[in-house]
Amino acid sequence: MYFDWITWGIWLLGFIIFIIWIIVPVKEFRKLLADRKKKGGDASWH
Amino acid sequence: MALVDIIIVVVFMIITFMVGAFFYKWVGDPDDFYVAGRKLTPFILAAVITATNVNLYSFVGQAGIAYKHGISILWQTWTGNMALVFSGLFIIPIMRRLRVRTIPEFLELRYNKAVRTLVGVLWVFRLSFWLGVVLYTAVIAAQAITGISSYTFWLFVFAVVAIIYTMLGGMWSVAFTDVMQFIFMLGGALIVLPLSMSAVGWMPGLIEKLPEMSFTLVRESGTYNWKFILAIFLLGIEWASVDQGLLQRAFAAENTRTVAKGLVLAGIITTPFALLWNLPGLAASVLYPGLENADQAIPMLLSNLLPPVILGLVLCGLISSQLSTISGNLNGVATLFTNDIYESLIKRKASNREILLIARIMTLVIGMLMIVFALWVPKKGAVEAYLTIIGVMDMPLFIVGIFYGLLWKRSTATGAIIGYLAGAAAGIVGQFILNYDFTITTFISAGAALVVTPLVSFLTRPETENKIEKVWQAKHISEEEKSSGDIYHIVPQTRAGKLSLLVYVSGVVLFIGGVVSGSGGWPYASLVAVVGMVVYFLGGYLKVNTN
Repeated sequence: MYFDWITWGIWLLGFIIFIIWIIVPVKEFRKLLADRKKKGGDASWH
Repeated sequence: MALVDIIIVVVFMIITFMVGAFFYKWVGDPDDFYVAGRKLTPFILAAVITATNVNLYSFVGQAGIAYKHGISILWQTWTGNMALVFSGLFIIPIMRRLRVRTIPEFLELRYNKAVRTLVGVLWVFRLSFWLGVVLYTAVIAAQAITGISSYTFWLFVFAVVAIIYTMLGGMWSVAFTDVMQFIFMLGGALIVLPLSMSAVGWMPGLIEKLPEMSFTLVRESGTYNWKFILAIFLLGIEWASVDQGLLQRAFAAENTRTVAKGLVLAGIITTPFALLWNLPGLAASVLYPGLENADQAIPMLLSNLLPPVILGLVLCGLISSQLSTISGNLNGVATLFTNDIYESLIKRKASNREILLIARIMTLVIGMLMIVFALWVPKKGAVEAYLTIIGVMDMPLFIVGIFYGLLWKRSTATGAIIGYLAGAAAGIVGQFILNYDFTITTFISAGAALVVTPLVSFLTRPETENKIEKVWQAKHISEEEKSSGDIYHIVPQTRAGKLSLLVYVSGVVLFIGGVVSGSGGWPYASLVAVVGMVVYFLGGYLKVNTN
């Protein structure tokens, strides 16, 4: 069976970005949420 | 389109709305609404910027051009990505240090309130019109892909949901719905690429069935030749330095280094992403040759190749691309009006509560205006009109605000106003009287602003040193950076930093050398230009991670 290295190489790059951009923003959002809870405010950061 | 696909789209819209509305409570003051409290981190910022820049034009319009003219249209996105990196490394960190929310606000700091008001008012209309164009193209594309011809349905999908969640959560809603939408649009593109390539016999099948020219990145002649690449690169730098829709997100970064990192990352990740929507355009030219309207290529490919459920998911990705662009720009216009017109001219001592109310009302009003424009623009040649606006309004702003504003202390407010108006007037003459095309008009308007601004500046009294000093000082590290310890040097101070700059400059030289050598038909021109671009990105990435 033929394996198209070029197409799947491009696809893999996209897939890596896809996975990183699911994991990291979720982590960063959790941190923002935790910071927010620590500051105790519900309506504002300030 | 099957019922299951419609259900998937409706559920996606509900989730988007809920995510957007969740952030309502996070908005306590105008900074939260305008710039998400300046808390955005590099990866969030990169996703937000990418989601705002990639829209249905990319998936349908640009892929349609690839269908018709081949892969060289990729440079439109790639040079834009390079411009993002340039702006992120050298321009936007200065603005972030000044803690401005809009470009007009920067213009007041550098020149005076008159320049701020002039540009602010013009940009409210410019972005409102752009939103109308975006909405119109979204509805047309969605109708073609799905076969659902109800204008009201698509209006709801694209406009109403985005208006409501942007109104509620401002930049917080925009940022996190953008991240989600970025994931959906990338996911959709990851599904379409292998399906379309397998349908044409993968890469060898594509190469065998299409003329060699379709794969030439830097061309000697034709519509998207080497001159186009250089021109669009310059336009990209202008766009990445003055576009309110883009910069407002950058201003939401938690610190100066984050701005630079976010923009560099956004430029880098959109580069392979662009292949994911352009290669299916090439595949469509094998599968459905001879289409009169190239914009039909991708809709046709999607409706023929994708089974139910998968089609629904890919549609969510396409809708995402447009929702993120609409919501981001809606927030941008509301900010421009409230920050640069209401707070600056109408009521200077308005309370936070009052400002937030006005910003939300303006989001609604601009949303309505967007719908009106979307109904009106098709009769007036929307896209052409918009391109004219860019040529006439954006390039003079870049010359006056960024080029002279940041590089030449002697430029004055009067010089800036007259230079800006002269650039705009020259653009109008070029476009409507001399009937030049958009690219030439852009350079005519830039040239006029470039000449008139210094002439008038020399005839008027220089700005006071104190006023200019604040802007000049922002080229160096700020107190905010010193106290946080996260310092970003625009001009590198360490050996590693200087080396990274050298890599970056080598990338610029290789890229330009490759593109220019394409003018003589050199067979390795494309390869050198692409290698140059990769080196350029590498240099940019190293620079934001070193000092």
